[in-house]
Order: sequence, then C-alpha cells, then structure tokens
Amino acid sequence: MTNAPRAVLAANRAARLRDFAPLTALIVLIGVIAAFAPSFLSVSTMLLLGADTATLFIMATGLTWVILLGGIDLSVQSVASLASVVLAVAVSHVGGLAIPLAIAVGVVAGAISGFAQDRLRIPSFITTLAVGGIAAAAALVLSGTRSVPLPPQAAGAVGWITASTVGVSHVIPIALVILLGSLFAERRTVFGRWTFAVGAGEPAALVAGVPVGRVKVGALMISGALAATAGVVLAARLNSGSPTLANEFLLPAVAAVCVGGTALTGGVGGSLRTLIGALIVSVVRVGMTFVGVDVFAQQIVFGFVLVLAVAITIDRTKIPVVK
Amino acid sequence: MSGIAPPVLSLQGISKSFGPVVAVRDVTIDIRANEVVGLVGENGAGKSTLMKILSGLFPPDAGEILHHGRRLQLNSPLDAARAGIGMVHQEQSLLPNISVAENIYLGRETRFMRGGTIRWKAMRDAARRQLDRVQIAVDPARRTETLSFSERQMVELAKALTLEEETDGQIVVFLDEPTSVLEDAEMRILFDRVRALKSRAAFVFVSHRLEEVLELSDRIYVMKDGEVTAEMPTAEASVERLYHLMVGQQAHAEYYREDRQLPCGAEVVLRAEGLTLPGQYRNIDLTLRAGEVLGIAGVIGSGREALTRTFAGLAPHAQGKLTVRGQTVRLRSPGQAVRCGIGFVPQERRTEGLVLPMSVAANMSLPSLRRFAPGGVLRSGRERQVAKDWVRRLTIRTPQVETSCANLSGGNQQKVVLAKWIEAGMRVLILDHPTRGLDIGAKEDVYDLVRDVCAQGVAVLLTADTLEETIGLSHAILAMRDGAITQRFDAAPGRKPSQLDLIRHMV
Repeated sequence: MTNAPRAVLAANRAARLRDFAPLTALIVLIGVIAAFAPSFLSVSTMLLLGADTATLFIMATGLTWVILLGGIDLSVQSVASLASVVLAVAVSHVGGLAIPLAIAVGVVAGAISGFAQDRLRIPSFITTLAVGGIAAAAALVLSGTRSVPLPPQAAGAVGWITASTVGVSHVIPIALVILLGSLFAERRTVFGRWTFAVGAGEPAALVAGVPVGRVKVGALMISGALAATAGVVLAARLNSGSPTLANEFLLPAVAAVCVGGTALTGGVGGSLRTLIGALIVSVVRVGMTFVGVDVFAQQIVFGFVLVLAVAITIDRTKIPVVK
Repeated sequence: MSGIAPPVLSLQGISKSFGPVVAVRDVTIDIRANEVVGLVGENGAGKSTLMKILSGLFPPDAGEILHHGRRLQLNSPLDAARAGIGMVHQEQSLLPNISVAENIYLGRETRFMRGGTIRWKAMRDAARRQLDRVQIAVDPARRTETLSFSERQMVELAKALTLEEETDGQIVVFLDEPTSVLEDAEMRILFDRVRALKSRAAFVFVSHRLEEVLELSDRIYVMKDGEVTAEMPTAEASVERLYHLMVGQQAHAEYYREDRQLPCGAEVVLRAEGLTLPGQYRNIDLTLRAGEVLGIAGVIGSGREALTRTFAGLAPHAQGKLTVRGQTVRLRSPGQAVRCGIGFVPQERRTEGLVLPMSVAANMSLPSLRRFAPGGVLRSGRERQVAKDWVRRLTIRTPQVETSCANLSGGNQQKVVLAKWIEAGMRVLILDHPTRGLDIGAKEDVYDLVRDVCAQGVAVLLTADTLEETIGLSHAILAMRDGAITQRFDAAPGRKPSQLDLIRHMV
C-alpha cells in the first residue's frame, strides 16, 4: 500500500468516510432528539418512525439501482402518484389484482425510460424527466384531476397493507422484504454484479461482454416497480389515490440514497446504505417538526442536506468536467 | 551557436514516476536558441512524459527547469505558454467546432476585447498574419474541422508561434511526431517552414522516424527506458547508431521467449477477407491460426488500431467477410465478440481493461459470471477459489483476492486482465499494446503468459508498443500503411525479419 498512488489513498479515505459517516450521523441525530424528548426512544415511537420511513425507503431503494449505475430516475414521484391513481380506479373493478396492475404500470414507465436511454442514447435524467411528465399527466387524466378515494370494498384487497399485527404495521415487513430482496440481488445475482461493474467502470464492463444496455433498462424497470409499490403503499395509508399524492417525494428520495452513501458517480453503495439514508431523512423530518419547522419549509433543509451528502460521497476522479 | 548565453530551456535532472512506474529518470537536456533539437526514443521511452511536464500538465518529482538561466515553475499550461513553450501535438489539440482564428487565440481572447466584447475582425486579422508566417493560405474564419490534417498541423504551428507575443525571450516549439500522418510533400513543406523559422525560435523535433530526425535536427538526444542515453551533433549520428542506442542490447531472443515459440496449429480460428472500414482500413485479408501470434505493425494512422477494435467488437467493419471459428459474423458489440470466443486486452488497461474499483476476484469472473452463478445465484466461494488459483499460477502480487484492482501495480493489473480471459475460455486474444507502461520484469511475465496461452492453442493478434516486441513475439507479421496491408513477413525463430525490413513497408 505504501506504493499506492496518492489518488488511490484519497479514494480509500473517501470510501471509509462513506462507510461510517451515515450510520454515525443517524445515531447522533437520534441521540440529539432523544436528549430533548426521551420518549422518542420508546418502542411505539420507533415503530411509527419505521412505518413513516417505509414508503420513502421503498422508492429510494428502486432509485438506488439507477444511481448505482451512475444514472438518475427523476420520474419516481410521478410514477408513484400514477400508481396510486391506477390502484384507486382499478380496485373497484379487479379487486386485489389492482396492486400488481399498478406495479406493472411502474415497470412499463421504467422500461420506456430505459429503452429511450439505451436505444436513442439519451441521458437517463432526460428520459426519466420526460417519462415523469408523461406519468404525471396520465395520472391527472385518469383521475379527472381529483383525488380518488379507495372504495369501501377495497378494504379487503388493499387494507392488509396498513393493517397491524401485534402493533407492527404491515408496511414495515413489506419494506423489510424489499430490502432483503434488493440486498440479495445486489450481492448474489449476476445482474447485481453487472450493475456494480457498469457503475464502477462502464468501458471495462462493456469490453468484458456485460450487456450494458440491458443492465440499464433493468435498473430503470426496478426503479419504476418500486416507485409504483411506494405509490400503492402510500395510497393504502391515505386511503385514496391522487395525481399529486407523491409530490415532494423526489428530493427526499434522492437525498436518502445520497445521504446513505451511494455515490452519484456510480459503482458504490447499495440498499442497506439507502435504509440508513431514509432513516436519517425521517429523523431529520421528525426533528424539524419537533423544533417547529413548517412542513413545506422542510424541503429547504433537504436541499442543503442533499448537496452536502453528494459533496462528501462523489468520486471526483470520475468527473473531470462538471456540467 | 554560441555557448556563452544560457540555453533557452534547460532541463536539469528531471525525474517523474507514476506509482511504481518510473517514466523519466534524471533527464538533463539543453535547448539553445535557433536550434532544432531531435529527441528520439521508442514508445514508452519517456518522451511524452517529458513533454507533458514542459506543458505544465504535471510537475516533475525531482529536478528543475531553467528558462534563460532562471528557474521556471510550471503549474499549468498557461504558465508554459507564458514562458514561450509551445506544443504541436501528434493527436491534434485544436477544437473542431470553432474557427481557425478562435483556435489560434484560444484562452487569450482578452487582447481583442473592447468594452466586454470580442472584436472578431481584429482577431481574424491577427490570425491571418500568423498564418502568413507559416505560409498557409487558410481563411481564419473557416471552421477548423473543414481543414485537412496537414492544414490543421500548420495552424497548430502558427498557434505555437503566437507565443512570441507572450514572452521576451525566444520561444521553444515542440513538434510531437509531426510527420507520422503526413504525405511526403506535406512533410517537405513542414520541414521548410521549420528551417525558415529557425532564425526566431528553437524547435524540438520528437520522433521515432530516424531519417527525418537526421535531416532536420542540428543536435540529437536519444532516450531509452526513461533516461537520456546519448547526445550528439547530427554530423556524428547515423540511423544505425541512433537505432542501436534507442533499442539497446536487450533485443535478444531469450527476452521474448523465442525458444518457447511453437509452430502454430492448422486450425484457422479467425479469417478476414476484404475487410473494410471507410476512413480506417481497406481490403484486409488475414488468417489467424490456433497457437499463432500474428503481429500487426504500423504507425499511427495506419489503420491498425481500428482493425484491432473491429475484432474486439468495438468498431464493426463495413464491407468484407469476417469468419470466426467457422462462423461468418459482424461483431457489433464486445459482448458478441466474447460469445465468439474473442477476448480483448486493451491499451487503456485502467478504463477498458479492468473495472478498477472492483476486486481482483470480481474482475476475473466478470466475463464468465454466469458460470459462477448456477441457478442465478452467485457462488462467491467458488469465485474466490478460482481467483486464488490464478493469483498463485500467475504470481499476481496482491494482498488478497478481495483487494481492489486500483491498488495493484500495472503489471499485476495486466495479469488480472489476462487471467479473466483465460478463465473465460477465450480462443482468440486481441492484445493491444499489452506491455505499455510495464517495467521489464512485468513485461517478461506477459511474454511468458503469451507463450503459455499459445501452447494451449489460443490465437493471439498483437499490436505492440515497439517493433522489437512485435518481431520477438510473433509467428507472422503484417505491415500496414495508410489503411492497407503492405507486406506479410514470416517470423519463425531464427528467421525473424529486421526492424528496417518492417519499417520500409510501414512508412
């Protein structure tokens, strides 16, 4: 190691910071809030925090896959809103099948972004921005620009999502299943390895025969599916679908991924980090509410937190030119 | 000229390393006024590193640069420009999408500013005066990409000469391999201009084309393995003498493991018939047999780089027929090449060869990942075991197989690249400058590996850094010039062609 170039040593230092800073920050934040309000550490508050974090975490986990590739998915909040509307409209016709239908809409949205990126060679931030606009408009048209309450007969089909078992909202195990599935995909599947390879060094992955285009499409489809899932969970919690349901979610979702330590430049990070990032965002939100910061002003803080987190996690050797 | 005034530019004991690789070592060079200095050496001898130091792209680790006897600190290309050090690059540095005049004054537009706007006519007029001095009739308002290669080179020369306006002393213009893609007549024009401009500037002519260096230079420095090995007035130099100094004594058969060069098999694994990619190469016919090393020799612009990338799936051919192991294919992606059994060992080891931040084990398994994941689940234990086997067999120096490839030296990185393709069972390896930037020991390891894989029937297509390496390793050599194959040489041990034989068909 003594002979390693300085850039490598710097990269190793940055990696260590990425590894430990998020968890430390989370513990410190919880400690600070608990110091002011000891009841914050109670089991019931923690479960509430978990349930509140779940929606954001599910969306951010999907987004993590795209960011691992060095891309971005700006369509997640619109796709989530669209999925909530699809669920609310379809549930009275097809019952429980409305859930897979809503998620399928998310997959299709991701696939459209992905194919546009791969075949037309357009950056993901443009394709997902466009698809996000399409999804938002589709949600408006489908809902008649109004919020669509879930019909009473949906209680059986959708109600299980927000029901509780021994005081634990089902939203928490749903999020855990998604976390475990995502972790497994990252660490034990060919697709997961390919994702890290493309994110860390696309030219070398390409030369090694990795189907780079398919990996990119796949990541955007995962992101679409999980954004839609987040929309379904959100609809179940609020008992309605709405074309603006998930507005204000994009910034916290990107912030959760970056604060967790997944680098925007790709190749570094994962869903476990995103879990920590999402918890940090939630705790900050609780803390701000506690201090009395207006809900709408909280985005100001998330904006600053995002810039700070990206400044810490980004790998500058990979971006000689900042555009 | 006079030895009384200090040299315009004097390098004193300059050294520079990149990690474990020493690029230049204790280099001392003087460039005097009104002089053309020749700087010769093979690829990798350290010429480019030296020029990058003098361009202010990175500082030397040791030594100092004296400018008219005063110490010069170069922290940026702007500093170099202010000191009157100009570069005419081999890979041209003009921007294609702006006018000739804008290129000439790029970064120095403020002199034409009045009231916050640029006076374009003044800039064009100034540019026209500069172009007149190199006697090239190009409209300074033309978009640069519409110029021919040699016209652009003249524009670069004109641009370098504008540095006269920046500095009090004489300027020094570095010509980096300026003739490698020029027609003979264009080269004559360039040489005439340099001779005419010698009265007001010093030139450094960097090249490996010895005849031209002898013709143009007053004095010649020879570099080899990062050091200056000789300095002489041109009157005392000859092609043979320079050549000998550049290549040295290491060119013996043992170095390239010629005793291990086995006759190649009968099976043709790759065949090209009339392969053409417009603007790059045309009518390429070649056959590559199992166990054979086929070397391709050619200068930059000969088309050999594009041809190499065609076989790697990175630049599909336009016309002709390519047959890989009996199947006619057009390789549209590297993935397709890999499925055909072709592995590419690229020149850009750190970007195309390896996913640098990933571990040794993950890089080795990347092309054959599906084999490590029966039923879709990665068996990381097996992956680690296979990687450990390769680390032991190829004596790869790495603390662990989980170590990131970024922490390995160049030679060990290259072994990881080779291991991944052998593990993936490739039948053809495309070696693109496989020993670039490696030290002698690592080079020998790579040569041994090439002989090993050939003994197992793998076919190798080689484009090497030096002719010596091409000759030493190859069973047969194709010389290329201007996109076409000009000659095929048999290169069985003991019947190897000489470098001069090859050069005659390359230039």
